[in-house]
Amino acid sequence: MQNLELLFTGFVTVFSVQNVLVTMLGAVLGLLIGAMPGIGSLAGVALLLPLTYKFNPTTAIIMLGALYYSNMYGGSFSAILLNIPGDSPAVMTAIDGYPMATKRKRPGQALYTSNISSFTGGLIGICILTFMGPALAELGLKFGPAEMTSLLLVAMTSIGWLVGSNPTKGVVLTAVGILIASMGMDTLTGSPRFDFGSMYLLGGVPFIPFVIGTVGFAQVMKLVDEKDKKSNNIINEKLTIKGSMISLHELKRLLPPAIRSGFLGTFVGVLPGAGATTGAFLGYATQKAFKSEEPLGTGAIEGIAACESANNAAAAGSFAPLLALGIPGSGTGAVLLGGLMMWGLNPGPLLFTNQPEFCWSLIASLFLANIITLFIALGIIPFLVRILTVPIKLMIPAITMVCIVGSYSSTNSLYGVVVMLISGVFGFLFEKNGYSTAPMLLSFVLAPLLESNMRKAFIISHGSLDFFVKSPISLVLVILLILIISTPIIRGSLKIVKNKKQNKK
Amino acid sequence: MKKLILAMLMASVLVSPIFANGENEKQNVEGPFVPQQSIEWYCTSSPGGGSDIFTRTIIDIINEENLANGQNIVIQYKTDGAGEIGRNLVSNTKGEKADYTLLTFNSGDLMPMVKNTNKRFEDFQPISHMAVDKHLLFVGENPKYNSFEEVIEGIKAGDQIVLGGSKGDDIACYNALIEELGFDNTQLSFISHDGSGAAITAMLGGHVDLLISKPAAASQYVEAGRIKPVLALSTSRFPGNLNSAPTLSELGYNDVESPNWRSVVAPAAMSEKAAQFWSDVLKKVSESDKWKNDYINVKKLVPDYMDKNEFKEYGEKFQMNYLKSIGK
Repeated sequence: MQNLELLFTGFVTVFSVQNVLVTMLGAVLGLLIGAMPGIGSLAGVALLLPLTYKFNPTTAIIMLGALYYSNMYGGSFSAILLNIPGDSPAVMTAIDGYPMATKRKRPGQALYTSNISSFTGGLIGICILTFMGPALAELGLKFGPAEMTSLLLVAMTSIGWLVGSNPTKGVVLTAVGILIASMGMDTLTGSPRFDFGSMYLLGGVPFIPFVIGTVGFAQVMKLVDEKDKKSNNIINEKLTIKGSMISLHELKRLLPPAIRSGFLGTFVGVLPGAGATTGAFLGYATQKAFKSEEPLGTGAIEGIAACESANNAAAAGSFAPLLALGIPGSGTGAVLLGGLMMWGLNPGPLLFTNQPEFCWSLIASLFLANIITLFIALGIIPFLVRILTVPIKLMIPAITMVCIVGSYSSTNSLYGVVVMLISGVFGFLFEKNGYSTAPMLLSFVLAPLLESNMRKAFIISHGSLDFFVKSPISLVLVILLILIISTPIIRGSLKIVKNKKQNKK
Repeated sequence: MKKLILAMLMASVLVSPIFANGENEKQNVEGPFVPQQSIEWYCTSSPGGGSDIFTRTIIDIINEENLANGQNIVIQYKTDGAGEIGRNLVSNTKGEKADYTLLTFNSGDLMPMVKNTNKRFEDFQPISHMAVDKHLLFVGENPKYNSFEEVIEGIKAGDQIVLGGSKGDDIACYNALIEELGFDNTQLSFISHDGSGAAITAMLGGHVDLLISKPAAASQYVEAGRIKPVLALSTSRFPGNLNSAPTLSELGYNDVESPNWRSVVAPAAMSEKAAQFWSDVLKKVSESDKWKNDYINVKKLVPDYMDKNEFKEYGEKFQMNYLKSIGK
């Protein structure tokens, strides 16, 4: 109960006029930054950090916290409406969000689903943070290289659910994703790898331009390609406010995946080095194991709910190690941590004890930001959906510009634009030939994590494989992995035996 | 006709700043260098990290004390190619722009640069050496070994110990340490993390036996009792809560240290006058109270200002020794 008491003192701090205003400012900026492709929360927080040096630390962190947090909402807007993920966690939102908006012609419902799920996931994450923050952070510490290796292997199997109808094509693109991710500096020894003598490739392929290309720019080319077949607009019908609303039945459909992903996402957010993107990927992949009313990937509400809820929950979860131990769970967390130092606070295990006012105000401001962002988002959705009624001939150059600006700003150089264009061409060719690019993006995110953790685990175990079974957490995960892999095989062979028996009769 | 006049007017408005700039330059040909335009300061690490804080602290002081003729200083983050892109860009900046370009540069940048590329310290104009960070070894909360003597005894008895740390200078320091102790990299193996924060996480979770870190990142965890310093990789003990860790010479070995120096460099094409100006500005920064109290003391660095000539000599010697040590 002491936590609740502290939380209320936090609310007292947050509800000053100045702090409510900066929360709102942070929320609006976060929505905008999130909706702009290429400028993710990392860049947003980094850009605003210098502005906050003159604030008092509590006000500054409230604003940046609100910004980081609402950013997870904004990312889904451009993903759903334009098929361009506004930030990396929104990649998965685009898979179901864009078809729902365009093929099913229900952009309003798609956006509402995404925002209500974000709210649900975020609320779960913040509640867990309130009551179990420090304990959760300590649990996160138990996940060392060995445990992370096992966990990531389990996560990698979820690619199996994303490969679509043709497993061979899926596996090929998974491998391509891993190969591309291995370019650049070796994570452990720091020696160059697959850089082909180019100074640019030394830093590897940047994720944001890669995603904007394979998903967004490929979409532009698809629009060009289909221009003659289709009518002038993506959506011809008039979109009314009433027609954009979500029904009670749909609300019931989105809640179970949103709640599941809320818990999963919080947990992923707490793990060292995982972050919101991994959270969203896993949330979506997990949903594949559950029932959805419509098949995932064709515009299912469940698909949007699962990943949007997970990424907001992960954003909240990543505050646990940041506040309790001074360990950033993500790149954005690292920048916030740098901010704490600049404001003269010493982040670390003593922050909760020495600066309770600061910590609890931050948590209270997350609650506030979550509610404010939800209302702002719900209010602007009916106007946003009209983007889809813009004629395609105007959409194509506009989206192209957004892709170019987004990929430029994420790397601050033309290198990002080149990466975006090349991956766009390949993304288009892949999709046209029935290769789904989702497995490639997932393996691109997970492979570097898996590689560095596995190699660390082998150094610690001095080359022995026993690290998989030595720690209880890892052992459980390995058993889970074996079950996941063997279930289809056993099921398949049972079927064959059954069929043979029937044939004999 | 109206359109033509309008177009000419607009053109003249657009062109006028060029002339304005030209006049300013002329004033400057004689006499000492005074900045007449905004300055671009490159940082090849992400915002929020050690290099970023170093850069921002300096810029804050320059602005507060108005050391750059009131000109704006803009930080450019160029992290592409593990920082090589930004370093390449700065070293190749020519002409007048070279006088207005600076780069945050430390030994953790120099080592991968000379190892992986053909770029050398000589491709830059050294400006000033500002401060030095040194390393310590730490153990966790329920350590297997309570002191560094026990670690050495353990290894001699056949234990295999894992040391976690960051990149660049941490690795160099580790290599120097095992060489002095006469161990190989299986007896005391090193795991490189993305940064000091990740290495500390591994230590807190008990996944490594030992941790190598610079004081700034670690001292909070020492205060909270989560980690304990066991060895100072320096020629003397550290101050404050790190004072309990002995140096190697106290344990009967030669002292080992691999200082991570933090400095500022500029394009090789920067004019002599401008280089002297910036070197003097940074001297004033290093003498300011804010620098001494809010940066050096809080982050537990060793202040060590060198002007451009001293730093040139120091940097070249450092590079030569490093190249020799990696057999290049």
